[in-house]
Amino acid sequence: MTKKLAFWIFLAGTISSSALFLWLTLDTHRQVEVLANVDKLSERVVAGKRVFEKYNCNDCHTILGFGGYYAPDLTKVIRRIGEGGVQLIVKMPDKTFAGSRRKMPNQGLSDEEIGRLIAFFTWIGNIDNGDWPPQDSATRLSRKERRIVASTALSPGAAVFKAQGCMHCHALQKRGGTAGPPLDGIARRRSPKEIMHSVVNHADVDQDAAMKPRKDLSGTEVEAVTLFLANLK
Amino acid sequence: MEYRSQKIAHWYFKIALLLFVLQVIVGLWLAVNYSFTVPQWIVDKFSFATARAIHTNLLVLWMLLGFMGGTYYIVPEETGSEIFSPKLAWIQLVALVATGVVALIGFVFGWTQGRPLLEIPRPLDLVIVIGALIFLFNVGMTMIKAKKWTAIQGTLLGGMLFLALLYLFGIPFYKNAVIDWYYWWWVIHLWVEGAWELVTAAILAFVLIKLTGVERQVVEKWLYVELGLFLFTGIVGTGHHYYWIGAPSYWLWFGGIFSALEPLPILLMMIDTMMHVKQRKLKIKNPLTWTIAIGCAVLHMIGAGVLGFMHTLPQINYYTHGSQVTVSHGHLAFFGAYALLNLLIFYFAVPQLKGIKVYDDRRGKIGFWTMSTAMTLMAITFGIAGVIQAYVERVLGMGYMTAQSYMQLWFAVTLVLGVIFFIGLLFTVADLFTMRPAKAQK
Ligand code: HEC
Ligand code: HEC
Ligand code: HEM
Ligand code: HEM
Ligand SMILES: [Fe+2]
Repeated sequence: MTKKLAFWIFLAGTISSSALFLWLTLDTHRQVEVLANVDKLSERVVAGKRVFEKYNCNDCHTILGFGGYYAPDLTKVIRRIGEGGVQLIVKMPDKTFAGSRRKMPNQGLSDEEIGRLIAFFTWIGNIDNGDWPPQDSATRLSRKERRIVASTALSPGAAVFKAQGCMHCHALQKRGGTAGPPLDGIARRRSPKEIMHSVVNHADVDQDAAMKPRKDLSGTEVEAVTLFLANLK
Repeated sequence: MEYRSQKIAHWYFKIALLLFVLQVIVGLWLAVNYSFTVPQWIVDKFSFATARAIHTNLLVLWMLLGFMGGTYYIVPEETGSEIFSPKLAWIQLVALVATGVVALIGFVFGWTQGRPLLEIPRPLDLVIVIGALIFLFNVGMTMIKAKKWTAIQGTLLGGMLFLALLYLFGIPFYKNAVIDWYYWWWVIHLWVEGAWELVTAAILAFVLIKLTGVERQVVEKWLYVELGLFLFTGIVGTGHHYYWIGAPSYWLWFGGIFSALEPLPILLMMIDTMMHVKQRKLKIKNPLTWTIAIGCAVLHMIGAGVLGFMHTLPQINYYTHGSQVTVSHGHLAFFGAYALLNLLIFYFAVPQLKGIKVYDDRRGKIGFWTMSTAMTLMAITFGIAGVIQAYVERVLGMGYMTAQSYMQLWFAVTLVLGVIFFIGLLFTVADLFTMRPAKAQK
């Protein structure tokens, strides 16, 4: 091989790859309109993105898998813990994670800012991104979920408990989140009625309740999950 | 040293080394955050997020200063002329370092763009662009005035120009997060797997010619082949970051196939480095400089080529994406490819700048071997933590914090290794700052 030939290899490699890349970039721009629901990309969502950047959340949390790896990925956080969950945690992370080994700073976000963040998370959670991350995938069941589903013949409440994201704040048998108290043996502490109130409107039971009312659950769902919890002795 | 204006390079090197020390101190603090519970009041004032921004921005800053200093050292020798304007080189150095310092202090007080690795606020980006333009102008004018072109200086200038252009894509505010990440990778990926590889290939070729006396025609021929392969695989290879961001699914194919070929040019670079060293025509004067050249080629291959390849296919990346597996690869790749390349040019240039023919390399050896061993082991411990995370969090679906609790042991070992790395770094930096001629052999 001569130096001249080597030079031509260099040119050909660079130009062909660049041309292909630019063409794919154009096409990606076209397709992202649909894949990322650009029609739902409102000013409020954009404002939420600005809040997310202003507080540098992204250097602890990944989103779409990019950023710091110090805290949970936020792509599907709404699906996991609901709007109320995000509201609760971002408002007072010092309280919700008081018992956790890892802390999140309380940066004093206003309710308006948190509202915008929720709009941003809702939008990003709905883009078509190849069903990532696997732990939040709606179609692929993890082993833990398969176990729970297998037991739903006995307890539809367990399925609600999982599907509504309760486990991201509450632990059962040491598995699950730390933002709320573990619910093992809750039936020993609370009557079924109190449990039901805790779920639907926690403020009725406890004046300073931090858990947001779950008015989005249907009547049957509340009954099922109450029955499930009321049996945890 | 043959030209007076090469002296500027020395200042670039010294500042780069100090920033490297600072970067690693902050890295240790990050590891402390992983191993221990940092109290809420500290987290409220100086969080992991702030520290991470400092760790990564210092990394980029010191490496770029090293590359620029290296260029200012190499270009006079390649063109056979003094640098166009040493004064501009000074202004540029002061501007970049001042911007860096302001940015780092700003992070602590919450002044940030808030995008990982590109946290430097937009007004400061402007100063950086001006600094880069001064650099390109200065180097370009030197070459134009000298009217002498070699493949090495062309590659250096081209690589730096490409690098500067890509940075522009990281500056705007993108409303759509998908598009935002799409162009974020034009900076991050096309830098480390494109522009920086060009600069590396050029610097390595220069040092090899000087050290081995192998014919320039041969070295430059291989340089072209490597550049071609780097750009052919690396440009479309950007697609390995587009799997899960809401881009079209054909990226799984394009990204997967092209990026799987990315280790080839790195392998080629390793082989031809070894070949040139074997076919050398000159005597080995400073064995440590050689050791670093080979260490750089080998760890570049392991960190970027092997560890990169391991998680680049979409079937694997689905489970490892954004986990400690990424951190493992990121550390060894950056260290092997770019930290060692910087050390190579430092160890090549500093003795000449100081007029030392054969330098005393006892401390330098301890530094090099301690750092390389510690970083290789850190890649392993981060990697084990990452595999645990991929399995417990993503396959079993047991939740993020539960998975982290299974990884604690490996974070603790990483912290210890980090301290060892730091000691090695102190040896190296002390050595470069106070280099002495070796005592005459008996
Ligand atoms: C210093 C790092 C840090 C920063 C900065 C940070 N967080 Fe967190 N965040 C954490 C940690 C750690 C957890 C998980 C703690 C646990 O579960 O024990 C967490 C948990 C969360 C959760 C719950 C996630 C889940 O799936 O349970 C949300 C929502 C959240 N953070 C939002 C934010 C937002 C919004 C910001 C920016 C305003 C932010 N965080 C900034 C560290 C951080
Ligand atoms: C965002 C986090 C979060 C989510 C999601 C969440 N909770 Fe809670 N929950 C809490 C917190 C925090 C408490 C502790 C009391 C308080 O301050 O509100 C609590 C308290 C409770 C209690 C009362 C426990 C006791 O000991 O009195 C029950 C029952 C309960 N939650 C059920 C549920 C169910 C069922 C779901 C799912 C539909 C759910 N929670 C989802 C945070 C959460
Ligand atoms: C004592 C040594 C070091 C320690 C303990 C350390 C630790 C860390 C930690 C804990 C993170 C954060 C990862 C996360 O987001 O969770 C990080 C990020 C990073 N560090 Fe280091 N570091 C060290 C030295 C270095 C060196 C020498 C380099 C480069 C040569 C480097 C390059 C990086 C890079 C590139 C990132 C971003 C990683 C990514 O986004 O995947 N670090 N480091
Ligand atoms: C010297 C060259 C390289 C350096 C310095 C480097 C560095 C990095 C860094 C820092 C990241 C993390 C970015 C982030 O998300 O914050 C990363 C990600 C990645 N790199 Fe590299 N890399 C190099 C070469 C390669 C090569 C050759 C390959 C493939 C063969 C590769 C494959 C990947 C993949 C697949 C990811 C994404 C990981 C994820 O999904 O989280 N890298 N690289
Ligand atoms: Fe990449």
